[in-house]
Formats: sequence, C-alpha cells, structure tokens
Amino acid sequence: MAALTPYTYIRCPCSDVSAPGRPLDGSSPMAAAADDNGAGDDDDRTFDPRAPRSNYSLYPLEYLLYCEDCHQIRCPRCVAEEIVSYYCPNCLFEVPSSNLKSEGNRCTRSCFQCPVCLGPLAVTSLETKPDPSLLAAPDNAAAPHAGPYALTCSYCHWTSAEVGIQFEKPNGIHAQLAKLRNGGATRLTAKERKERRKDPAYRTQAAAAPAPATAGGEEGGPSSSAEVLDLETQFANLKAFYQGQLADPNSADSGLAALSDLGFSSPTSLSRIMSIYTGGGWQDKKAKSRVGAMREALEPDEGLQPARLDESAAIDRLRSEGHGATASAAQLRDQPPNLGEAHLHGRARFASELRPIPYLLRTKRSKRCPVCRHIISKPEAKVQTTRFRIRLVAGSYIPSIAVRPLPLSSSSSSGSGGSASGPAVVPGALLEPLRPAHYLLTFKNPIFEPVRVTLGAPARTPGRFASKVTVLCPEFEIDANTDVWDEALKESGERDRDKDRRRRRGEEGGGQSSSNNPHHSQLEVGKIWERGRNWVSIVVEVVPASLRLAPGDPPLREDEDVLEIPMFVRVEWEGEAGGDDVGAAAGRDAAKEAREKRELAYWCVLGLGRIKQT
Amino acid sequence: MSRRPPRGEYIETDTGNKVARKATLVGTQNIMLGGKTVIQPDVMIRGDLTRTVHAAAPQPASQSATGAPPNNTAVSIGRYCFLSRGCCLRPPGRLYKGVFTYMPLRMGDHVFVGPGSVVQAASIGSHVHIGAQAVVGEFAIIKDYVRILDGAVVPPNMVIPSFSIVAGQPARLIGEVPEGGLEAFELRDLYKTVGNNPQPVPP
Repeated sequence: MAALTPYTYIRCPCSDVSAPGRPLDGSSPMAAAADDNGAGDDDDRTFDPRAPRSNYSLYPLEYLLYCEDCHQIRCPRCVAEEIVSYYCPNCLFEVPSSNLKSEGNRCTRSCFQCPVCLGPLAVTSLETKPDPSLLAAPDNAAAPHAGPYALTCSYCHWTSAEVGIQFEKPNGIHAQLAKLRNGGATRLTAKERKERRKDPAYRTQAAAAPAPATAGGEEGGPSSSAEVLDLETQFANLKAFYQGQLADPNSADSGLAALSDLGFSSPTSLSRIMSIYTGGGWQDKKAKSRVGAMREALEPDEGLQPARLDESAAIDRLRSEGHGATASAAQLRDQPPNLGEAHLHGRARFASELRPIPYLLRTKRSKRCPVCRHIISKPEAKVQTTRFRIRLVAGSYIPSIAVRPLPLSSSSSSGSGGSASGPAVVPGALLEPLRPAHYLLTFKNPIFEPVRVTLGAPARTPGRFASKVTVLCPEFEIDANTDVWDEALKESGERDRDKDRRRRRGEEGGGQSSSNNPHHSQLEVGKIWERGRNWVSIVVEVVPASLRLAPGDPPLREDEDVLEIPMFVRVEWEGEAGGDDVGAAAGRDAAKEAREKRELAYWCVLGLGRIKQT
Repeated sequence: MSRRPPRGEYIETDTGNKVARKATLVGTQNIMLGGKTVIQPDVMIRGDLTRTVHAAAPQPASQSATGAPPNNTAVSIGRYCFLSRGCCLRPPGRLYKGVFTYMPLRMGDHVFVGPGSVVQAASIGSHVHIGAQAVVGEFAIIKDYVRILDGAVVPPNMVIPSFSIVAGQPARLIGEVPEGGLEAFELRDLYKTVGNNPQPVPP
C-alpha cells in the first residue's frame, strides 16, 4: 500500500452556505462530545471528511485564496475566473481574442501534438539522406532539407507520412494541414466545390468513378453508393439546396399547409434551423410569411447522402490488422473536429485516421471574489512573465499546519508497559491499531500580529472506525511574524539556542524523560510542545481504531483505513480597524489605537496515516 | 581506525556551492555554477559534451582574428539549484547543418532535480521541480514554476509553459501550479540542510 505522507486540507467555507437549511446527515451523537468552541460556529455539527460532499470542499492551503474585503477564504471552486490572455503552450505566443473567434481555440502556427501519444510533433524532411557535399561545407547550407516534409513524434516515432499527410513547405503547417485529408487527398475549398457543382463534366466523371454507381441517386437505394460526399461538401450542397428552396416561390405547392409548418419540410422551421447552423444569416423574412412544404434533397448535388451501412471492408480490415490498429477512445477524444472527413457511418475508427492535433490554447486567468467582486489574483498578461499584479493567497493570512509524527514511544504518556521500545518513526509507516500514537502539529503564523488559535476536534473521528483523538493543547498563542530583516538580524543569536534545544530533544527521542528538560519530554495537557519565533508546535494523541470487520460488515472502502481528523480552527487577532490590508507590514505602526478584533474560523482535516489492517 | 573525519563529504566553494566529492563532473571547465548550488554524490554532469559547431558561424573570420576563445559552456546552472543523488545532466545534441553537435544546457535558479533523473533539456527556467526518476528529453524547454512529477518522461523538444504540472510517459499536462504554491519552489532552506555542517530543517 502506498505510503501516506501526513497532509492538511482546509475546508473552504463556500460549501457552508446551504448548511443551515440542510438536515443533519447522520451526524452521530458523538459529535456532541466535540468541544466548546466548535459548537458556537458550526451548529454543533462535526465536519465529516469522509462525506461524499467533502471531496469538493477540501483543499490544500496552497490552492486557497483569501479575500481581504470579506476576510474569508476562497477556494478554486468559489472564485470567479476571468481570462486575461490566451497563449499556445508550445510556441508561447499570445493569441489575441479576436483571432480566437475566427480561428478557434487551437494554435494556428506549426504546433502539433502526436495523435497517438500527445507528444510534440516536429517538422522533419522526409528526405532522410543529407547531401554528402553539405557535410564538407556547412556554411553554404542554405537549404539542406528539401522535398516533402512530415510531422514526426520523437517520442513514439509516429509520423504523419503514415497517414499520408505530407507537406511541401516546412512552415505554415496549420494552413497546409487544413487543406489535406488523410491519405494525402486534398480537401476541396469552398470555391472549388462551387465550381465542381457547376461543372457537368465533373459530375458525370465522379459518378462514373465508383464502379457500380448509378448515375444520379434518384432511386436513393442504399446499394447505389453514389458519390461519396465528405461532411463539408454535403453541408455545402444541402445549404445551397435549401437556400434555393427558400428563394423559390414555386415550392409552396402543398395542401397540408397547417401541418407542415411543424415538420422539417416547412420553410419556417427550415430557416430557423439554418439560422442555428449558419449564424443567423438565414433569417429570411419572406420565407417566414410563406407557408407550405418543400421537397427534400434528392441527389448528391442537393446534399443527399445515403448512409452506407456496408461495413464489410472495416470488418475485413479489423481481421487482418487486429485490435491494435484501432484508435483508443482517448485518442479519438483528443482529435479536433475535422470537417473534411468522411461520414461516420460505414467508417471504423482506425489509428490510420488520426490526424495531428493542433495544440489547444492555454489561458492566464485572474480570479475574483464571488461575493464582493474584488480581484484576488491577477497575473501579468504577458505570457513569458510569471509575476502577479495581485496575489492574495490564503497562505499569507491563515496559519499553516504541518503534521509530523512525534518520535515518542507510546509508553511515555500512558505509562503502560514498556513493550513499545520507541520504534523509529518511519515516515508513512502504518499506524498500529489501538496503540496511542503522537503527532506534532506545527502552526506557523504568517501575519504580523500575534494570533490566538483555538482548536476543536471531536473526541472520536467520524466514520465507521472511530479513532480516539486528544488535542493536548487546544488553545495557544502564536507570536507575530516579523520582517525578513528582523529575522536575519536576530537569527545569529537565536540559532544556537534553537539548535541546542533540538539536539537535546533528539537524544531523548526514545521516551526516557530527562530531568533537565521536563517541558519537552513530558506530554502535558495544556502545554505547548515547542515554540519558535512565529510558530508553535502542539501534540495530538490518537488511538487508531481497529479495522477488524464484524462478519456482516461490508468490506473496507477505498482509503477508509486512512486516519483523518476533522479539526475546527479558530484564529483571533487584532488588526487595524477598517484596514483592508491585514498582512501589510506598513500598517503596523499606523493607527495603533484603532484596533479591531478579527476572527476567522474554518474546518480542516488532518490526514495522519494509514491504520494497519490486522 | 581513526575517528577523525578526514574531510567533509562536500567541497564548499567561496560562492557557496556544495559539491560532493563523490560526484562525477566531467569537463569541469565547461560547467558554470551560479553559486549556492548543491551537487550530491553520484551526480554526473557531462561538461565534456560541448558544442562542436558554433552558432557564430556567420562571422567566423572576425572571431578567429581576435583569437577570443569561443564560449564552450556545456552546462550552466543558476543559484540555489539542488542536484540530488544519482541524477545526470547531459547537454542535448543534434545534427546542425549536417554536423552533429551538442548544445548547452541552461538551468535557472532554484531548480531541484530529483534522485535518479536524467536531464537533457535545452533550457530550464527558475523555480522548477523535477521529481525522482524523471527523464527530460533532448531540447525540452521548461519555463519557470514547473513541477515534473516522479517518473515522468518529458519527450524531446517539448515546451512546458510556466505554472504547469506534468506527469506520465510521455509527460503531459495534468494540472496547474496554484497561486499559493509558488513559495514551495524556494530551495534556500533545503540548501542549508546539506553540506559539511548541515542545519536541521526548520519547522
């Protein structure tokens, strides 16, 4: 089982809004035994980290932001994001939002991803042999590569030549690719399509080309595989046909005027549908007033494409090439929509149909508080810079909580038998059931005011396996953070003392209490374990539950063996009144008299480790 | 057996670099360290793989006339970088105008390279964390504030923009570094915990 490093997740209060109206979901009476302070703020309810809902409200401290106006934590779920700039993650060029509308959300330079493995593709010359004369004179190598180019993946060695895509020029790949179909056939442009439609010579030729095809398609039988249209051509043909129908006054010849207004063949619904697909340009006032039915498309020229349901070719190919030649669902999902493709019916999903994927654009986003609409995070718009104009992260407002196993045998506090001979605490080691273990919680104060922290944790963790939890020191004060310079000046003196203290503690690790330093070796209720400039360590004692299941019980669910402690944290401090910048160091000396009590309370979850299964 | 520790495990330079005696640095004259960089034992840096074709080809005459030695830096490393045990930095190489040549590997500040990783990137920005057993392919470009998780294989020529978290084989984007996670890239504290008289990790 994977080792578990202790973690702290903080619950964003945004998920709390609906709490008062919601019935207490299975909140066991043991929650009542929780503590004094958690009760007032949270309706006597113990937060259950295992509730399915909790998945969405717990975040590591780094992911949380802080609104200075609301004095509240904000999580990625509750902030409102605004896009500052778009850029390609490969060439790192910014894409103006006007381009976005016309070109879509993909990079239109020569940035492509491998359709097989998503690695980056590079343009390489298909001519593998470099001219030997160039080796001798590298200077005049103006055009060492020539001839067709292809996109190749240097990770899986996929190349676009495999699917018949080759380029004439090494630049402007996106534009070249847009004109190419898989297999190397060129895709028709709108102009060419129009010309072909007009040209009767082409039509007969195309009809004759697929061997058994009957000329038109008027019969509409599926066997007569008429001209195979790709999606784009069919759409263009259909569009032209319906346009003509709408313009043609003679089409209104049906007697079923009242009924047909609802069907597909009515001009009204037709113009409505066309306005959906073509962007409102087809809202024809004349057509609206007219009632009557129109005929449907009858031939390929008009956009009729009978479905080809004969899949024997695909089956044969599957037989010969096997499952490995097909594209996976993930690969298909990553494919951008390609209008030049053939129809989906009668087509199998082979890997040979995959096309290079232009890179999806990435964004830089600013974040707003959902309540007061103030911006709480704003990066610089330029792609290459990593600075932020505004960055109000929770880590600079609320104390961080670090969890560490305490190298202390169970015997020292409980006084029970000396069987536990102070095993070396391996990080991520499994917790012994029913044996007390100790964890050190280190609270670090990031703000420039001393804060008072009050903790509350239920005596027994919620869930099927209730472990006992004792916070040995639920109330303490942390000194203020100081400037970096203060720290640097003080450090020299303090460091020696600090080191001394640490070393001594290390020696006592086995739990034998030494007489000269009773404070640090003995676990005392209500005492702080260790304190530093702006941090305080306290001890939490846990007695992990036994994971033994009664005969009828359902088996252990995923991660049910993780010992998680819900803990309510209340932080109080005195900030300057009305000052919106609590963390600012400059505000310290100004307006000392106008102090204001501030308070912030939230639930967090401490994940300590996995309990050993017996 | 003498109890006297004869020498420290590390050589500490004036600029604060801590280089393990058991590290393998090849071609040291082509390796630039910015200072305060830790190189742990069994690290290999291939400084011997220098350019053989110089980019300054258009004016070779003027360069040879002045007699200035060409810049042969193969690996340049910024400040507060941390190269963990068993990792390897190797300049990337490719055909350039028909001749095979190596290109310099540049690394910014506060770059952590995990144990057992192989890095052949063209450039690595600042505040980059490369996990254990990761492979960074040739000519990859890694921008600032990027986290490459353990075991990832970054394909050659890949560009990883700032604030990305990548993982997998081949590496692909799996997340973004949150705003509050920027401080975690600082390696000043880690720098103090190694060396000949290491200091304990601050709480």
